[in-house]
Amino acid sequence: MSTSATIMMVLICGFVWGGFLGFLMRAIRREGGKQQVEK
Amino acid sequence: LSTNEQFQTRWGLVLATLGMAVGTGNIWRFPRIVATNGGGSFLIAWVVFLLIWSVPLMIAEFAFGKRARKGTVGAFVRIAGEKKGWMGGWVALCATAIMFYYSVVAGWCIRYFVAAILGELRGAGPEEFWESYAGTTQAFWTHAVALTLAIVVVWFGVRGIERVAKVLIPSLVILVVILAIRAVTLPGAAAGLEFLFKPDLHALGDFRVWLAALTQNAWDTGAGWGLILTYAIYMKAREDIPLNAVLIGFGNNSMSLLAGIMVLCTVFAINPGARDQIVGAGNEGLTFIWMPQLFAQMPGGRFFMIFFFLALTFAALTSLISMVELAARNLMDAGLSRKRAVGIVAAAGLVFGTPSALSVTFLNNQDWVWGVGLMLSGLFFALGARSFGVERLRREVVNAEGADLQVGRWWSFLMAVVIPVEALVLMIWWLWGASVDKPAGEWLDPFSAGSVGTVLAQWAIALVALVALNRWMGRKTSKGEAGS
Repeated sequence: MSTSATIMMVLICGFVWGGFLGFLMRAIRREGGKQQVEK
Repeated sequence: LSTNEQFQTRWGLVLATLGMAVGTGNIWRFPRIVATNGGGSFLIAWVVFLLIWSVPLMIAEFAFGKRARKGTVGAFVRIAGEKKGWMGGWVALCATAIMFYYSVVAGWCIRYFVAAILGELRGAGPEEFWESYAGTTQAFWTHAVALTLAIVVVWFGVRGIERVAKVLIPSLVILVVILAIRAVTLPGAAAGLEFLFKPDLHALGDFRVWLAALTQNAWDTGAGWGLILTYAIYMKAREDIPLNAVLIGFGNNSMSLLAGIMVLCTVFAINPGARDQIVGAGNEGLTFIWMPQLFAQMPGGRFFMIFFFLALTFAALTSLISMVELAARNLMDAGLSRKRAVGIVAAAGLVFGTPSALSVTFLNNQDWVWGVGLMLSGLFFALGARSFGVERLRREVVNAEGADLQVGRWWSFLMAVVIPVEALVLMIWWLWGASVDKPAGEWLDPFSAGSVGTVLAQWAIALVALVALNRWMGRKTSKGEAGS
């Protein structure tokens, strides 16, 4: 693979998948926090 | 809202909405569009429009549903005012018209999944198999099967939708991840990644690449279709909107990327010489004719072919379920019981889906007419939010108690200015593109498939009828209470 394609792959996949996983982790933490409060 | 008609957990809502968003368009359309529009450059534009089209509209849809607790017609009446109920009617009409032929597509996926298990695709050859199946009474029966499966789920209400989503969506993710891993580990797959991600900076100066990226986002996230609005009716009062919207938007596009990697690595590893022919074969050609041929040449291909069509079936069914629920919800708002509303949607889906089952040309024409119509739906959401007051909607609903993220004024600007401009530019471009492709005189012919004339004629009939029925629809939908 060329360098430009590799950089683009890292940037796009990093942003999209990283964004998804980041928001997912945040939602998991918020739900965990809410359950703690309810207990 | 009764607790029976409510998502029990945040994950139930997120998975059901993700199931709505991830459909066949992610798997069969995205890889083809990215391959024909500059690869890495297209992906830059695609990410930009995720942020300035899909996510803002998803937030708006959640806000409409959560605030109004009504289907599309009732929500527009409550949010935008009594005179704008017809806009909600348009959103419902578009999504329901798509449902009629989408159940045919879901039926195709089911038939190919069964054919992959039985080994039928190897014996006859995928092209012969497709020719002997599509547009025949067999396709009608598979359409009926797909519709029945969706109807059964919606019959059991939100609990049914939540339970099915909790099983099908994680399974779909696992299947696509397995297929993507298999594809990237094939010898020669790196050429597929190179093709997918190599940036062509000149392409970024081509407005068609940007418009294709906007279209793809509008299609594969389901933003502006009214389906998120429908599921948002059943969110808990203190449920978050902004974090759920970005989670679903990024989750949907993550699945598209996986599908792009899976399809293009498979194409380049197995048959690189035919790549232009494969990506230019259209949605059905790529999925139902070329992919089985590629899997047949792959070690363990039959096994992966079964996985591929099972993933497509799951993606199609979870989207179809949301479309059935949207249509049924509007009928329930008019005072019908869930069972009666679902029964009417089932009968209408079976009857009005039949022409698409029996003719692929008819299906593609409907796809063209209502696909462009979705841009108008997105525009109506922006106009509806403006009528309510975008800043008021942001403060009172989007950033209300329970929000895990606070949305800034950027969202109001996008909703009030950017999205209406995007929707208008996109519609004009699509219609202009269709006019230059057709011979003079034919592009305005309402009976010519894929023409501007057929779009305008069907839209005009629908819009005149909806505006005429506006007061009646408003009265009807304000009768029944949500959750009844």
